Amino acid sequence: MRKEGPMILTVISSLVVVFSTYFFLGQKWNLMEPLNNWFQISYAIALALGFVNLTVIHVKYIQRKREGWFYSIVLLLCMYAYLVLGMIQTQNGLQFDWIYVNAMSPLSATMFSLVAFFITSAAYRAFRIRTKEATILLVCALFVMLGRAPIGDAIWGNWSAFVSKWVMGTLNVAGMRGINLGIAVGGFATALRIMLGLERAHIGGSGTQ
Amino acid sequence: MMWLLAQEQAPVPTLGIFSAGSVIDFAIVLGLGVIIWVMVARARTGRKIPEIKKIAGLEAVDEAIGRATEMGRPVVFIPGILSVDNPQTLAAFGMVSHIARQCARYDTRFLALNCDPLPYAVIEEITRQAYLEEGRPDAFNPDDIRFLSAEQFAFTGAVIGIFERERPAANIMIGAFYAEAMMLAETGSFQGMIQIGGTAMTAQLPFFVAACDYSLIGEEIYAASAYLSKEPVMYGTVVAQDWLKIVLALIIVVGAVLATVSPDSTVLRDILGGY
Repeated sequence: MRKEGPMILTVISSLVVVFSTYFFLGQKWNLMEPLNNWFQISYAIALALGFVNLTVIHVKYIQRKREGWFYSIVLLLCMYAYLVLGMIQTQNGLQFDWIYVNAMSPLSATMFSLVAFFITSAAYRAFRIRTKEATILLVCALFVMLGRAPIGDAIWGNWSAFVSKWVMGTLNVAGMRGINLGIAVGGFATALRIMLGLERAHIGGSGTQ
Repeated sequence: MMWLLAQEQAPVPTLGIFSAGSVIDFAIVLGLGVIIWVMVARARTGRKIPEIKKIAGLEAVDEAIGRATEMGRPVVFIPGILSVDNPQTLAAFGMVSHIARQCARYDTRFLALNCDPLPYAVIEEITRQAYLEEGRPDAFNPDDIRFLSAEQFAFTGAVIGIFERERPAANIMIGAFYAEAMMLAETGSFQGMIQIGGTAMTAQLPFFVAACDYSLIGEEIYAASAYLSKEPVMYGTVVAQDWLKIVLALIIVVGAVLATVSPDSTVLRDILGGY
């Protein structure tokens, strides 16, 4: 029953979603909303569980004086201080909001800005001319870059923008749509495999029937 | 308030018992269901199932684990940053079991790094079960299945830190990724890890192709668990998936021909969009 229970629950939930998506038998039979509420409740419980789990793990680290135990103290202090502040002030509280806007946002923006440097190094590797395909990639990338930068217009006038638009709008879109079609069908097949009980990875075990 | 009442009382347009515009969608679901059923039935009775092409990225999974084993360094698995309601995360679960089993078999350390609490709980359970099935429950270390942060870039920073400190030999990333895809893959590449990246986020695919040794493009991640299981029944479902793709491609060809021959024709659009 340890595996059958979750499996039955999965099949029933997915049937409810399928039924509510494709059929309409009146508002009272629309079970999507209660199901979505259940998902939110489960998520909140999982978060609370994670909170407790994190506390237990880091208290253990501090007790055993494991390497980096000082950071565990910082983590627990920040976590509980922010929780208490949030409970007192709610999400619109002045200090609660200030901490998020002035600490979390700049930190996230700093990390995000690093993407530019990572892209540069990856692009250098990808565009090195070693094969015919890499050469085509380099030529296309050059046209697209020139078409999107003012220097392209200065060199070739409207031609660079035209070529860039054609590469992005015709070649790129055709490829992307082909991939998207496969993704849609693949996602669909995965959902059916789970619904039919053929794939059971999400409830532990070998991942298949 | 009036707006809410109007929303509640607004009649939902239907076609019989079908919701508006869902007949064709339902027919496709039913069609795929039938094809899968046919394939599963064929596999169960021992009849031949058409072959599916070799997927280099999936063939390389065992190679990556083997290399990590030889080097005595860990294998890292990242199931994307979205929760269990995303099909890509579900596809990642299918791979965790295989990777965890191989790691248990060869006594290689397996690290799973999570950005969402729900996949974290699921992956912990899958890994525990995999170690149990391999007869190595003692080797399972719950501390190696980690929930790092639900914040995208805090998670990214934590993963990069783990890459630097623990120096894994293999990095397998399957699931839904956003801007962090490039940062994780590039850091892994700097570290000289063997990397397998797979996602259905088309905007991130070029980054995986550029920075990883092997890439799983779009639908290949959905075929992963079936492919790795090597079970005919599961293979059958992937073949069914290909058949549906052929049907959809034929519809596209018909649409292209109709649009070329008679640009004003709305026959296909009326059929597919009207029901």
